[in-house]
This record gives sequence, C-alpha cells and structure tokens, in this order.
Amino acid sequence: MSVPPGSVIVPDWLKSPEGKEHLAAILRKNKRKVFGLIERPVLPPQVASDTASYKVFVSGKSGVGKTALVAKLAGLEVPSTHHETIGIQTTVVYWPAKLRESGRAVIFRLQFWDCGEAALRKFDHILPACREKADAILFLFSFTDRSSFDDLPAQISRVVGDAGSLVRIVVGTKFDQFMHADVTERDVAEFQRTWHLPVFRAQSAAGSRQAGRRTPDAGTGLREVAPLLNGLAEHLWHQDQVAAGLIPAPLPSPEETGPC
Amino acid sequence: MEPGSGPVSLLCLAATSGVPLFCRGAPTRHQLPFSVIGSLNGVHMFGSNLDVALTAAHTEGTRVLWRAFHESITLIVMSSEEGANDFTLSRLLDNVFSAMVLVLGLEELANIRNVERLKKDLRACYKLIDSFLTPAERTGDLTQCVECVLVPCSTTLQECLTAFTGAAESRFGCLLVGGRVAVATEPWWQLAPQEVNLLAWLVGSLLPSTTRDYPVYLPQGSPMVPHRLLTFQLLPGLDICLLCGPSPSLEAVETELVPRFWKPLLEPLRACARPPSVPLHPGVLAFLLINHEQKRSLSAVLPRGVQAEGPTLPLGSCASVLRAFYALVVSHYFSCEGSPGELPPLEVPLGGGSHSARHCYVVSAGYKAYAAQAPPHQLFLLLAPEVPTFALRPLATHILQYLVGDAAF
Repeated sequence: MSVPPGSVIVPDWLKSPEGKEHLAAILRKNKRKVFGLIERPVLPPQVASDTASYKVFVSGKSGVGKTALVAKLAGLEVPSTHHETIGIQTTVVYWPAKLRESGRAVIFRLQFWDCGEAALRKFDHILPACREKADAILFLFSFTDRSSFDDLPAQISRVVGDAGSLVRIVVGTKFDQFMHADVTERDVAEFQRTWHLPVFRAQSAAGSRQAGRRTPDAGTGLREVAPLLNGLAEHLWHQDQVAAGLIPAPLPSPEETGPC
Repeated sequence: MEPGSGPVSLLCLAATSGVPLFCRGAPTRHQLPFSVIGSLNGVHMFGSNLDVALTAAHTEGTRVLWRAFHESITLIVMSSEEGANDFTLSRLLDNVFSAMVLVLGLEELANIRNVERLKKDLRACYKLIDSFLTPAERTGDLTQCVECVLVPCSTTLQECLTAFTGAAESRFGCLLVGGRVAVATEPWWQLAPQEVNLLAWLVGSLLPSTTRDYPVYLPQGSPMVPHRLLTFQLLPGLDICLLCGPSPSLEAVETELVPRFWKPLLEPLRACARPPSVPLHPGVLAFLLINHEQKRSLSAVLPRGVQAEGPTLPLGSCASVLRAFYALVVSHYFSCEGSPGELPPLEVPLGGGSHSARHCYVVSAGYKAYAAQAPPHQLFLLLAPEVPTFALRPLATHILQYLVGDAAF
C-alpha cells in the first residue's frame, strides 16, 4: 500500500504563516526543542490542534544508520562514530501537519523505537517490546551496503511476523555517497514493483552537515527531514482512516492483510 | 583544549595476548605508536612473569599506572596533568573497568573468546569511559560517594517515586536531575555507591532519548546476570531510572504508569529542573561536601558575581583545581574513612606525622583551598585569593554548619 505524497497532507504547509506558528511550538532558538514525556508542544489557544500519537519501530541490519536516522529526524546531533546500540532507545518527535481533506492541523507525535541487532539476538524481550502496539515499521537499508538491501525481504517477514495492519516504509540511507553506492536506482525500482512499499531516501550524516552549511535552515535541518516525516504521517493517518472504515481499504495484494 | 584530547591517555589490552583493545584520551591523530604500547605492556608482563606486580612509575612529567583485572584485561593510564597523583589515576582505572563490566558483563571480559568481537563491543563503553577522562564538574568518580542534588519538594517526589517503582514491580527507582541523584528508593541507596554513580554517568553518556531499555551488569551486585535499566525522560535533564527483571515492558510503564504518577507533579518537577543556587559566601568558587556515613556527596562550582576582582580561575579550572586539592588531601592528610582496605595508602603523609589532620589549607597566587573534617562530614572549599587566610577556618566551619544543619544534608 502506497499513499501518494501530498494526497493526505498539504506539502510545504510549514512555510505558510499558519504552519510557521505551529513550527514555532517545536523550535527553540532555531533548533528543535526537546520534550520530556510529561510535556507537549504549547500552541496559542486560537490554533490549538489535536495530537495523534504513533509508535514507529526502526528496523535494519547493523550499521545501516538506524540511530543516526532517528537522531536526524529528531534534530539531534548525529553521533560521529558508530557503535552498536545496546538495548532499546526511543525518541519522540513532534511534527505538525495540515490535513488536506478536513483542513485541520494535527500534531503528529511519532515515537521512534531503535534497537541494536546484537541486542535483538541476545535478549528475547527486545523484539516483542518493539513490536508491541507498533503502528509502523521503517525498514532501513544502506545504499552503500548491498547485503542490507538483499536482506530486506527476509527482514520484513521476520520482523512483521503475524502482526496485523502496519504501515511499512522502506528507507535507503547514505543515499548521497555515490562513490560507494552499491545499490542502483533500478534495483530500488524493481523492489518497489514487487513489494508495493514506499521507498524514501536519506542522506548520510556527513552529507547533511555539508548541505546544512549551504541552506538557510542550517540549524533546524527541517527541509531534509520533512519529506520522510510527512510521508510517514500520511501513511499513518491513511491507515487510521481505513481502520475506522472512513475510506475503503486498498485492493489487497498477496502479501498484505486487509484491515480488520 | 577540545574534549577528549586531555593530557590523560588510557590503554586497554588483552592481558594474555597483549592485543590492544582500545586507546582513549590521547587525540586520535596522535595515537600512541604500537611500539610504545608494546613496551608499556611488555614491562608489566615481564614483571608479572617473575611474580612482581608493577603498579606505578613516575617520570619527570608523566605518571604511569598499570592494573590487571581478572588476569584477562590490562589497563594502563598515563597522565602528564599537573597535579596528577596515583590516588586519582588508581580510581580512574577502577572506574573504567567497572564501566566495562556495567555495559558488557564480567563474563565477556574475564574469558575473552573473540578479541575482534570484544573490540567492537567495547565501543559501546567509549562515551562512558571518556566521561571519566574529562570529568568536568563531577566528583563522584574520585570520592566514590553518590553525587546528589538538593531539590525542592523532595518529600512529595520521594513518595511518588516509591509508589511508581512499586507499581512497576521493582524496588529500585531513582530520579536524576542533571545526572545527579535527587531522590531514590531505599534499595537504590543500598547499591554500591560506585554502581549508583556509574548508572548516573551512563545515563548522561548515552544519546539523548525519551525512554530506554538498557541491559546493565552491576559490577558488584550482579556482574554476570544483566538487569534491565529503564529510563524515562520526564523533562529535559530530568530522568527516572528503574532497575527491573524481565517484566514489565517499557511500553507498559511509559504509557500506563508515567502519566498516572508523574503528570500531576509537573510543577514540582519543573521547579527541580532549575534547582535553587546554594547561597554561600561570594568568595567561594567551588565546594564539595561528603557525608561518609551515607556515602553521599554534594558539590558545585559557583559562577562568580560581577564584583569579582583580580585574576579569577575560569569555571572549568575551578573544578579541576578542587579535584586535585581533594586528591592531595585524602591521599596525604585525611584518612580515607569508610573505604578500609579499598585503596592502600599510596603515599606517606607529607611532613611525616602519624596523626590524622582535621583541617588543612593551600594558599597560592590564583586561589586558596581549605579542607575540614567533622565526622561523618568532610568539606572541601575552593576560594578566591582575596579571601583573607585568617578567615578561612571560620568560613569553612560556618559553611559546614549551614550545609549540614540548615540544608539538612
């Protein structure tokens, strides 16, 4: 199931005056604001919006950049050296968006669940904990690591298991490292044809740092993460609408189960 | 100086094979040549083959300490820092190995099966180990007492924490503010002080996260069997920590218990996030108070007011001068009570007295420092040079009375 970009959420809305007002609630001094568990973004009363919470499990082979991607989406500093994540770490990202259908602004509260591959294998409780009540799974592969791409189908079946309707999105990381690219556009297109899953692309940490210097939103890095966060929000919202019976279910494809 | 490039270098090797596992502290571009690493390890190994334990060596500008752990891991530390002493470096080695146990467990360290695998796994400890090499304003690594912070409404928070911890099927719960313990349940206090500090430093060294489910091996309490450390960031800089067994799930605690117990306390928690400053004499640059009975400590580096005159130490060096003064005093003058046998006396008292001092002070051009002990408390003060020397003793006595009495530490 793939929701076309811009069909649920108004793209570029954050650049409008109304969008900027919402954006201000998640920024502080041109950086992303960090929210604890018992807080949430505060908006002026006249623009008060609903919050929609979702749990997103980030899955992928060791070293593809799960932790780096989550840090980037949250506007945090991406760690410069790699080490395997131990245990589970979750990060909440607030993301305001405007729904095309109703014209309503909604604040998406996306909680990303990230865990290291070694921890998954070593401790039994980790995978069930990440899957419990998850609304979406991001499957990551790295453009510079062919085996992480080839492993996707196996990974999808292993991680999804018998879970019901879940948003499934594939993200290719380190997209900008053309010199080391190991996965071609044709590979990705073929994968998309077979699996009918949306595929997004993300830059490497070094790439973003370079690009950041050139663009005006250097501090926030919002321009870079907006397509993925909007795309994720669209799929999640669409899935909720389908589950509530508000819009018809998509045509079932062989590997998908319909909404219950 | 950029962080991580301090004058302290730390080497970790597999004891039997001599394979270097990691090197921290020295700037990576000036990594020690393999021949130097080999010689440093070789001289230690040569001694141990002859049943001679080589523990320390001093050259003109550098001190070197060796320590082998479980006949499996050798740690070597070198420091060219001014004021470096064996007491500080010995504590450092102890903390570093405990940090490795905390993250990897003793089994993997004591019986190395695959050196390459271990090297990779050890990278998860780097951030924690680095925090011991550049401790900034922290003191718990040296004192081995739990670093505490005084917060308003501590009774309310304590009650809520106890109830919350119980609801999460655990007995071990703690509220960290800025990486220091604000309130904790009674069993948490019964963990070894080093473990409590390690857990707090670990939380501070990890990537900022909303919640975590992190396996930890308690170096003294449970070095072989991991427990789950759950952390919940209530507000930025304010984390709840729980030590749990297999249940409950992270999801359940976060969605069911955190809102029920902690949402109603939003205002008191907000007040904790910016703790009130301790009103002390303006001449005080930094202080460290230790309660040896409870194994707790309170410390702060105080920003100077605008009325400060003359040359002043930058904030960063205030912290390191106080640490050096503490190390000097406890290794030479004050008996290190509460830690019998933990560390052998490394140096003979300067002046050769057999008695134990109750007060001592240092006067230099840039600062004055004063230490006083009144069991179970010890107070260490760093003061501005313009504070008259004759006023140091009454000032210290007054501050000790204030902190112990009114602030009820």
